[in-house]
Amino acid sequence: MADKQYVMGLFRDEHQAVSAVESLTDSPFKIEKVHSPIPSHRLSHALKLKKSRVGWYTLVGGIIGFFSGFALASFTALRWELIVGGKPVVALVPFLIVGFEFTVLFAVFGNIIGFLFQADLPRFDWSTHYDERLSGDQYGILATCDPAQQEDLEDLLTEQGAEVRAFAS
Amino acid sequence: MALTFASIDQTVLDTLKPGGKNYWAMILLVFLGLMGGVACWAYQIFVGIGVAGMNNPIHWGTYLINFVFWVGIAHSGTLISAILHLFRAGWRNPIARAAETMTVFAVCTAGLFPFIHLGRVWMVYYMLPFPNQRTLWPNFQSPLMFDVVAISTYLTVSSLFWYTGMLPDLAIIRDRATGLRKKIFTVLAMGWTGEHEVWRHYIRIYLFFAALATPLVISVHSVVSWDFALGIAPGWHTTIFAPYFVAGAIHSGLAMVLTLMIPLRKIFHYEKIITVKVLEAVAKTIIFTGLIVGYAYATEFFIAWYSHNEVEISVFKWRAVGNYRVGFWIMVTCNTIAPLLFFIKKVRTSLVWLFGISILVNIGMWFERFVIIITSVGHDFIPHAWGLYAPTVIEFGIMIGAFCLFFLLYLLFVKHLPSVSMTEMKETLEEGGGHGG
Repeated sequence: MADKQYVMGLFRDEHQAVSAVESLTDSPFKIEKVHSPIPSHRLSHALKLKKSRVGWYTLVGGIIGFFSGFALASFTALRWELIVGGKPVVALVPFLIVGFEFTVLFAVFGNIIGFLFQADLPRFDWSTHYDERLSGDQYGILATCDPAQQEDLEDLLTEQGAEVRAFAS
Repeated sequence: MALTFASIDQTVLDTLKPGGKNYWAMILLVFLGLMGGVACWAYQIFVGIGVAGMNNPIHWGTYLINFVFWVGIAHSGTLISAILHLFRAGWRNPIARAAETMTVFAVCTAGLFPFIHLGRVWMVYYMLPFPNQRTLWPNFQSPLMFDVVAISTYLTVSSLFWYTGMLPDLAIIRDRATGLRKKIFTVLAMGWTGEHEVWRHYIRIYLFFAALATPLVISVHSVVSWDFALGIAPGWHTTIFAPYFVAGAIHSGLAMVLTLMIPLRKIFHYEKIITVKVLEAVAKTIIFTGLIVGYAYATEFFIAWYSHNEVEISVFKWRAVGNYRVGFWIMVTCNTIAPLLFFIKKVRTSLVWLFGISILVNIGMWFERFVIIITSVGHDFIPHAWGLYAPTVIEFGIMIGAFCLFFLLYLLFVKHLPSVSMTEMKETLEEGGGHGG
């Protein structure tokens, strides 16, 4: 027999879902996941979620990008040291433009890599403990409890207005 | 009946049902147009660039006119998806996806023209940062190389922004699809479940995407303008070019948004989602960009007169009354006078007027690029080197082919992927939600 029972409460209303999160936080049950069809600031607040750190990846990407772009332009110019248009071989203004474009490109790469890494995507086990209505119009709270307390957890969720769905494991 | 989460999903998912005879007839038509363009390009590759009307002194013809035109079209997609997102303009949500898609396909179409313009297309690798057989590298001091870097960055960034923005919607389709379609969308959705741990990161990266795309889009058309402004041809060598091109790009792109949205709204019954108020907001923005463009036209003439530079004055006089005066007056009328009609509420709330004026602005903006590119090199410093240019059948064929490519991609998109962001539409119904971060 499984050592913990997964129960999901499905809500049509965001406020009910927020209230259920608050009740569960004060209960012996554990919130595993909260799903919603749109990003919800109220739910994030109730879950006390911290701000994402993904921006650091973006910043590092941008810094690497700037120096890569500038270095590429400088390296290629220094291979033959030809004077073009009376400008220095390593010309700051034109190379800053190349550096800028690379900054944006690599910052976006950093953004994407950071997102995939932090959000743990792509996921292959996404369908376990998932209900297909969650992408449509339902808010879902997946909670766990001791199998003996399943009924209590279901009652708590039902009281908050949820349609309850229990998962086999 | 008011919109609900379920009705939004249903309206958008209904658009993904298999297309009927009319849809496939349209696909066939634009495909044939595209094949015509491909045949013209193939002919040019075999015979040589001489089959185009470009000559001495006009070495830049419709290929570069179309390049600038399509890059310009792309810009308003980023304006709507990124800049208006940062400004928290809620009216952008219903049209953001369709406009972003327009950006991606317009940049793809634009990106073809430098290849076509090269003539010997197999030499394209000279533009890449890759040493050729003489170990020569590209010259990164050239604005043409800025262009290579800027356009490829723009295509990559806008494609990634488009795909990332679509992830929650791909999951909606996955959850309602069956069979092979479900498998495809399962891969595309990357295991998205709308979990809050994922939303937490998603709203941040969406914000950073918008924040990065905003300076990028301004830089891209500035760089395109420097292809001209860094040359010493009269009429090109001015500092106004970057802001002038950026405003023109957004002007043309917004017009294309109306051209695409009005039929899309009608065909897919998006009346409750893409409301007249949304189209009206686009029209109001067109008034704004039209006024900037009109101001730029006037400034160019003023500066030419004020400079006392005879060559500059001569070029601008020739634009207005010379061989290409018809193009010039089409440009002025369509881009600056026609949009003023949007000051009248009845005009900007009438679909017929909105569609008609959007077509006029599209035509006007194509002619703007014609006037800028052709009249400057055709009327240079030395009178005996002046010349005229007319596109040949081959150039027209390639141009029509490019339009067909764009519409083919767009037609395929609207039937296979969600043309309205279901998630962002739902956000407009919920006051507490949002990608807003």
